[in-house]
Amino acid sequence: MSDYTTQELMAVVMSRHLADGEVAIMGAVSALPLAACGLAQASHAPGLWYVAGGSGAVNPHLAPIPESSCDERLLDADAALPLPDVVMLEGRGDVFDVFFAGGLQIDAHGNTNLEAVGDLAHPRLRGPGGVGLPFLPLAGRVVIYTMSHDTRTFVEKVDFVSGPGFLSGPQEWQEKGRGNRRTGKGPALVVTPLCALDFDPVSLRARLLTVHPGVSVQQVREATGFELFAAERPEVTEPPTPAELEILRRIDSDGLLRRVA
Amino acid sequence: MRRRAGRASRGGALTGKLVSAEAAVAGLVGDRCEVLAIGGMHLHNNPMAVIYELIREEIRIKRLVTSPSAALNADVLIGAGLVDRVSTSYVGFEHLGLAPCFRRAAEAGTIEVESLDEAAITHGLHAGASGSPFAALPRGLELSDVWRSSPGSYRMVVDPFTEQPALLIRAIRPDVAIIHAAEADERGTAWLAGAPFTDRLMAMAATKVIVQVERMVSTATMAGKPAGSTIPGFLVSAVVEAPGGCRPTASHGNYAFDEPAVRDYLRAARTAEGFAAWLAQSVAAPRAINR
Repeated sequence: MSDYTTQELMAVVMSRHLADGEVAIMGAVSALPLAACGLAQASHAPGLWYVAGGSGAVNPHLAPIPESSCDERLLDADAALPLPDVVMLEGRGDVFDVFFAGGLQIDAHGNTNLEAVGDLAHPRLRGPGGVGLPFLPLAGRVVIYTMSHDTRTFVEKVDFVSGPGFLSGPQEWQEKGRGNRRTGKGPALVVTPLCALDFDPVSLRARLLTVHPGVSVQQVREATGFELFAAERPEVTEPPTPAELEILRRIDSDGLLRRVA
Repeated sequence: MRRRAGRASRGGALTGKLVSAEAAVAGLVGDRCEVLAIGGMHLHNNPMAVIYELIREEIRIKRLVTSPSAALNADVLIGAGLVDRVSTSYVGFEHLGLAPCFRRAAEAGTIEVESLDEAAITHGLHAGASGSPFAALPRGLELSDVWRSSPGSYRMVVDPFTEQPALLIRAIRPDVAIIHAAEADERGTAWLAGAPFTDRLMAMAATKVIVQVERMVSTATMAGKPAGSTIPGFLVSAVVEAPGGCRPTASHGNYAFDEPAVRDYLRAARTAEGFAAWLAQSVAAPRAINR
């Protein structure tokens, strides 16, 4: 039995990925990235900056963490940008080091889809839409998070690219993306309730980075709809330290991440 | 039951901008609207009081343009069957789930969805507000599938300066924008509390602007508001006083969103019949409130 929840573990994994002095940005459904940024800022990355989605809040003074990315309470912050300014800066390509993203579908090359499952004109499932996901290639790196690790979410190829990852792989990425010096470094980390993934530098395909405590490689493979590179005995995600949990719970004073998902 | 109660006009008239929701809709929107923009972002500052009036009067909307993230505002208009085409980058309920009416209509093909991204909406409104025919979008956005799916608004051209491909978004010029503000004075100058989202931009891009407010204040109260948080009255056609008029969405500076009520909506709107029942109860009844 663990004394932390899956969401707390995910927030901690995302937090450890952030470095001091970086500038991060997130979109809708932002409780996890907010928690991750707040934790990083209060621990190993005091000089981190983060912009809370549509609110435009810069370094919101968290506690509690609101569930909506546009909550007015976020404006109790170091600074606030009107949304059109945030959109402007997203386009520059040299402002944001980390972009947090999600998707109804996430594929082997880290492309994400929030538009539609099936044919866009006659979708089996019409998603909400991708908002700022087309900006992903312009951020330094992309951190993808999802609460659904299953074969419907993790697919070989997304039906629609809302948020470009490594596109169809090394050749297209070389031609149109990083090789063309038009973009950032692409997807860097995927965090799910089962594991953390990163991307093989040659094939640009997702590979297992760590499995969360108590999760088997077999379990991850069965929940993933594409062939996943994995070591026989991958590393286990380091659980939250008491210090990390203490900070996280101070920030998450409403216990959003403590709720059973 | 169409009413033609008074005309509200754009311009510098000293009085007459404060009107009922009925008068604003009848006088400014008419029976059908070619391009209607509605403000609010996620479950915040959705101008529901005026939107409910559009539903009561069954106003046909040829093209509905939303902020980068619409929620209840777009979902109820779509559910009421009033929208031919929606231009949006998101219609949903954030952590509470998908938008039931939007989803149902899009999957059944009873609505045309023009997928845009937030850059296209924001820069398209900038172009509309500044009189430009289009805006050029940042390099890199062409890597998503969004622009290819909406050829009516995006075009790929050759940048004449660099000879590189350049993605353009056509200007968005709403005939009418409906937005929420915390306060306005009788000349139509409005103050947006909290986050302005893209609502000011929407007002600046539109030909006619209806501002729904929590309360009317004197012009003296408007003095000293921070630049970028107000909309001058010369851009505003009509003001509708509707205390609580964003409910069940939030009104920044005034109230948070009513999560149980939104959950009730999401439960009811799972089916077309459930939505119709919700509409009959929530929209048909409160006409008196908005006068």
